[in-house]
Amino acid sequence: MKSTLDLLTGTAIGAIALAGLTALPAMAEPQGVLVIAENETPENLDPANATNSTVDQLLLGVYDTLVQFTAGDVEVTPRIADSWEISDDGQTYTFTLKQGVTFHDGSALTAEDVVFSLERLVAANAGVMNNMGTYSGAEAVDDYTVALTLDAPFGPFLSALARIYIVSKDAVEPHMGDDNARQWLAVNEAGSGPYTVTDYAPTEAVTLEAFPDYWGGWDGNHVAEVIFRYVSEPSTQLALLEAGEVHIAPDITVEDKLALQGRDGYIVDIGSAATPLYFYMNTASEGPMGDPAFREMIAQTFDRQLHLDQVLMGFGTLPDGPLPVGWMGHAAGTELPFDLDAARAMVEENGWAGTELLVRYLPDIQEEQAAVEQLQSNLGQIGITLTAEGMTWPAQAATTGSVETTADLNMLYSFPNFPDPHAVLNGNFNGALTGAKGGLNWAQYENPEVDALLNAAASSADPAERAALYAQVQELVGADHVAITVSLPGSVVALSDSVEGYVYNVAHHQTFNYMDIGLK
Amino acid sequence: MTYILQRIAFSLLSLFVLVLISFLLSHIVPGDPAYVAAGPNAGAEKIAEIRAEMGLDKPVATQFFIYLGDVLRGDFGTSWFTHQPILQDIAQELPPSLELVLVAMVINLVVSLPVGLLTARFNGSRFDDLVRLVSIAGAGLPIFWTAILLQQKVAADWKLFPVAGRLSFEHRRFEGQTGFTLLDSLMQGRLDVFFDALAHLMLPAFALALLFTAVGVRITRTSMISEFKKDYVTLARAKGASEGRVMFRHVFPNGATPALTVFGMQFGWMLGTTVLVEEIFGRPGIGRYAVKAVTQSDIHGVVAVVFVVGLFFLVANLVVDLLLYAINPRKHLEG
Repeated sequence: MKSTLDLLTGTAIGAIALAGLTALPAMAEPQGVLVIAENETPENLDPANATNSTVDQLLLGVYDTLVQFTAGDVEVTPRIADSWEISDDGQTYTFTLKQGVTFHDGSALTAEDVVFSLERLVAANAGVMNNMGTYSGAEAVDDYTVALTLDAPFGPFLSALARIYIVSKDAVEPHMGDDNARQWLAVNEAGSGPYTVTDYAPTEAVTLEAFPDYWGGWDGNHVAEVIFRYVSEPSTQLALLEAGEVHIAPDITVEDKLALQGRDGYIVDIGSAATPLYFYMNTASEGPMGDPAFREMIAQTFDRQLHLDQVLMGFGTLPDGPLPVGWMGHAAGTELPFDLDAARAMVEENGWAGTELLVRYLPDIQEEQAAVEQLQSNLGQIGITLTAEGMTWPAQAATTGSVETTADLNMLYSFPNFPDPHAVLNGNFNGALTGAKGGLNWAQYENPEVDALLNAAASSADPAERAALYAQVQELVGADHVAITVSLPGSVVALSDSVEGYVYNVAHHQTFNYMDIGLK
Repeated sequence: MTYILQRIAFSLLSLFVLVLISFLLSHIVPGDPAYVAAGPNAGAEKIAEIRAEMGLDKPVATQFFIYLGDVLRGDFGTSWFTHQPILQDIAQELPPSLELVLVAMVINLVVSLPVGLLTARFNGSRFDDLVRLVSIAGAGLPIFWTAILLQQKVAADWKLFPVAGRLSFEHRRFEGQTGFTLLDSLMQGRLDVFFDALAHLMLPAFALALLFTAVGVRITRTSMISEFKKDYVTLARAKGASEGRVMFRHVFPNGATPALTVFGMQFGWMLGTTVLVEEIFGRPGIGRYAVKAVTQSDIHGVVAVVFVVGLFFLVANLVVDLLLYAINPRKHLEG
């Protein structure tokens, strides 16, 4: 099927090829227009907000970072930092910057810009700084050397830096105002990345164009223009993909993805699974959930394999503990397997039949809805009534603000901001980050032994030592029956087969590097 | 004159009550905007700091009076999430929604008035039965369902209209002054863009209009039937006036008046309903903005959207009331 988009990009290629003949015939030129559907509209463009995957997805190719995760990789590699040194005490990171990096405003990227970017994020109380552990300050040693200092060693520091986008001081400083330029950077960009933002209409579309003076050059196949179209309805995304109006449709239903797998003209890409979904049990509850034996019974009532087969249609990995399988420090089999008979025996033995429990979740998310239904049905079979309360994200989060208002069970995805056990385990299980203390540990789980292990692992720079510590954390958490890890869903994305170079960026959850994509 | 002033004063009072209710509701509804704004794993201290920055640490009554003072000065505040002045956000989102509502309203009126008149004239006929059946079915169809059906069949399968969006790919760089694409393209003499925008509007407008049209037909029919029974119609017929003249010169103007009140209200209702079709047809607009604001607990954004939709609702009603008054001042003097 020859689509309108193919015809249009064809003419665009023609036009650019002609322009190329007169300009720089030797250079590879980015060509064509890539259109990407996206279900969630972005809040703003501010790098302060890069913990949000919709925002992060846009910023990935617009800004540069000191270090990066290349798509599909879980190791940190240089980006605008050519090299770095870590002091012996692990508290000073000195980066040597690339020379010749130009911002979209024409100014040169220097150490001053790195310092300015970090100081602005701190002043703006940016969410992305929550990842930065013990970071204390930045200093420009000379034009191309910058030193970042920490209050205490922090193992995943380099990984966290992969979301600290560097803004141009020249461009941003005049707009600092009394809000640290949040209003200005929400709709303008000041980056040095391969693409510039040329049109920002957050409820409709965002248009990016290739930046001709990009320091990395334009070798290989890249597109001249990238359009993110905000289409929330899965059926609309599918219709647009079939009409040739979008090239990438990440949010169509699993059934439609299965159907597209066998069809000519489409590719269904399955990215590795690193965003686990959990049922958190309220471990501090005054009710039955506060009893570890009761939680041991609940822990055996969810059939993960059935969920993977019937809800995810096989697109994912079977979890056996809270950490994604294959990650550094992953300990196998720390959570009890599904065994409804064992659970029934426990219910009978302890006289728990007739217990009423509450679960809170986000009904807009198909997968959560399905998981809640399975748990409801299984618990019903052994005499326990599970009431489900669907909410919006802010409402659900607010209920976890105290132990008393926290439901017996809460569903939550973990969206690790970088591929390190710290990003999953610390937020989920550190007693300093319980829901009641403003964190995502919605199990309200406080175990001093676990906290000590997590803190020791965070402040170590030795990967082998860290892996061993995290394995111990998983054993303890498993023995305390804190959570049921429901699934490790893969990132399944439907593409037109004219797309070349699509790779899921496992280190930036739910994103991919559009700057590495070309059109055939 | 007193009547007009009374109506305006009443509208202002309604707006105040609307702001009060929506402000209080947004504060009662569970959800902590500071928690969301702080990002994941922010910790209690940082959340408290951000809560103070947002002014959420003050008592609700204090917050309301600060907010009301700002609103009276024309300042709806800055969104906690888009970080833009909310009025500016709304000014950007409103035109595409209004355009959709206006086209849907045109469809509504063009169908409701003549069909309502004809079914009243042929009251009890097969035609009347058929229209009744279709309108009841139409009134019962959920808007989002109609929208998806139209999109999948008429657009995706039959390719008669575009699947989604506001303009075609080739017109993506079109920029207008007012944000009303139909108007902008006409002003620039771009007929190609005009027809493209209109084609993109047809299915969403039709999906939005269907339910309202079904109601519109029924209301028009009812008010026309009572007109047909009045003495002046019998007299006109006795004097030998043609049936066409009776229908269009006598019955229609009189019978349309009560229906007009309903159409005025429908305008406001439609504006509050656009979100259903905007989401499905991937169109920008106030509905999508509102959904985003609600899901993030962006209280000021939510209140502002409610205020603006309410404002349009009241203005549309006021205009209708004034129109009716202009047509027949006596009616209101008696009341």
